[in-house]
Amino acid sequence: MNEFAPFPTSGPRGHAFLELGERLRRRGQLDAAATVASAGLSHYPALADAHDLLGRIRADLDDDDAATAAWQSALECDPGHAGARKGLAFLAFRRRDFAAAERQLEAAASQAPHDVTLLAALDRVRVARPASEESLRLDDPSSGLVLFDAEGMRLIGGISLTAGDATADAVAAEGAGFVRDAARAARLLDLGAWRQLVVEAPDARIALLPVGRDASLLVWRPATTPLGRLVATATRAGAAAREWLERMA
Amino acid sequence: MSADPWRRILDEVTGVAGVRGALIVSSEDGLVVAEAAMASLETADVAALAAGLASRAGRVARVAGASAPTSVRLTAERGSVIAVAGDAQLWLVAITDPSAELGRLRILLGDLAATLG
Repeated sequence: MNEFAPFPTSGPRGHAFLELGERLRRRGQLDAAATVASAGLSHYPALADAHDLLGRIRADLDDDDAATAAWQSALECDPGHAGARKGLAFLAFRRRDFAAAERQLEAAASQAPHDVTLLAALDRVRVARPASEESLRLDDPSSGLVLFDAEGMRLIGGISLTAGDATADAVAAEGAGFVRDAARAARLLDLGAWRQLVVEAPDARIALLPVGRDASLLVWRPATTPLGRLVATATRAGAAAREWLERMA
Repeated sequence: MSADPWRRILDEVTGVAGVRGALIVSSEDGLVVAEAAMASLETADVAALAAGLASRAGRVARVAGASAPTSVRLTAERGSVIAVAGDAQLWLVAITDPSAELGRLRILLGDLAATLG
């Protein structure tokens, strides 16, 4: 069989083209690898691994836009595809968007918490990233920031790439109840106005703080985030939220 | 666990500078299991409020896709409430004034809460 035949037989699912394409990519035969991957995709358009392979090839060709499209297609087929997340993280790292790279790797790590290559990549990104650089964009649905009003209605923000608007809305609704309980506890215990809530869980760290009279901000971060950094981030995010509210007023 | 070991745990917590009181609370019903140095505080109120905060924290964590919380800290103008989960649905709770060393207290509460069951 011709080495470049796209579908050497390897079992009922016929996905040996993935191995062949990857082998060609590693040899630097990128055009041939792309031909194999594209041919495979024409037969298996919903196969996330095939889009992932094409993403790697496009990235090797320095065609970041095409690589991004391929990896996003992989995530549409399989939202938990760690390879696609790693690929998008690589592209973000290459353009020095360390916050985006970290978010992609954290999303991948949430699907594969024992993948040492992922954790090592996460370490590398965090070392490379200046301490002051962290995504505090409230309009980013993957920022881990949720601003909500006293009624528990979400004003802006989101939890993560894998959690959607419904999750963010539920967090806002429960967060408002948490805030009411915190204010009540502080009042009844004569502690004055509440300033901050910090929750630790085995897989997450959460901070809440008041933003103005009628709004609060929830900050969600992975459990690997040091508590001091969580609080520092929450303080900075609170200032950004206040500015956002002033602009909306 | 008998009352004496709990007493030792609570005494260790209240021995930290800035801690106004400590208690062990059942998260199931918010009842006080043991308490220490709560002279200026209504113990039942603290227990109910701490259990309420722990419960709310659990709901927020759950809807965000996280596991059950292991600790909750409320910081206010004139002090903090820190609750750390132990075994058997018991929470170790400390009330502090603003001078307390919260980092050290957090670690101590975590160590002691692990021995509550």
